[in-house]
Amino acid sequence: MASVSASHLILFIASMMVAASVAGVFTNSIGQLSGALSEQGLDVSSDVRTDVEIISDSGSDAIYTDGTITLYVKNTGSERLAADPGQMDIFVDGQFATDYTVTRVDGSGAWRPGSVVRIDITQSLNSGDHRVQLIVNDDKEVFKFRL
Amino acid sequence: MGFSVSGSAALIFVAMFIGFGMFYSAAANSAETVQDAREDRADRSLERANTDIEITTVNYNTAASYLNVTVVNTGSTELAVSDVDVLTNNSYQTGYETTVDGTAGTDLWLPQETLAINVSVSPQPSRVKIVTGPGVAATEVV
Repeated sequence: MASVSASHLILFIASMMVAASVAGVFTNSIGQLSGALSEQGLDVSSDVRTDVEIISDSGSDAIYTDGTITLYVKNTGSERLAADPGQMDIFVDGQFATDYTVTRVDGSGAWRPGSVVRIDITQSLNSGDHRVQLIVNDDKEVFKFRL
Repeated sequence: MGFSVSGSAALIFVAMFIGFGMFYSAAANSAETVQDAREDRADRSLERANTDIEITTVNYNTAASYLNVTVVNTGSTELAVSDVDVLTNNSYQTGYETTVDGTAGTDLWLPQETLAINVSVSPQPSRVKIVTGPGVAATEVV
């Protein structure tokens, strides 16, 4: 009865191969999910550590000169940020601003905790109340001033 | 027929076990990272709540074009002189001299100590703002 054991062997090999491929797909998916979970944890941690404050004197009249709004922003969190326009989103009176530069005022290099950057936004404003909203890594800061 | 069922079941169970192990370690690491960040934020919030400063005197010397500001650390946290920012008329100042209770060259500004700042600025500014490391600030009219 060799034909019986031969077919048993074939069925056995076939079922082991199916089980192995299921196991492989399963482990692969779990591996990808674990990788994504780790990255999300790092992102959330970075957002929680980020904290910036706009330190410009809102009562002063030197905030807006000749079409440029000058703001000083201090990194009061524990996350190392980049002194780069791509690091933040700026809204002036609700409109998304794209024409602005970011420069460090107390040294050079990255925007590390405790250091200050100057943001120069090119935007012409009329007299009255204005507000600038700055968003860095989900941390929102609002600065209101009057011209 | 007999062994293939238990064999493939064993293979799938082993794969589930390995998958659970990978998932658990990633989830535990991720949760710990976020927990560390939250504790750090709580520490910073407490430090900010305990920080307070008061500008006691502001004098401008017209002849020599410098501004003297004295600020007292009225809170209960240690501040760093290097993290203090001085804004005169919303203009960021650098390269100014500082002394803490008469001692120059120190970076520690301890509770109840007075920081004296000497800034060269011309013309006379109308306002000055002092910002500390945690973000607590004080303004004064010159």
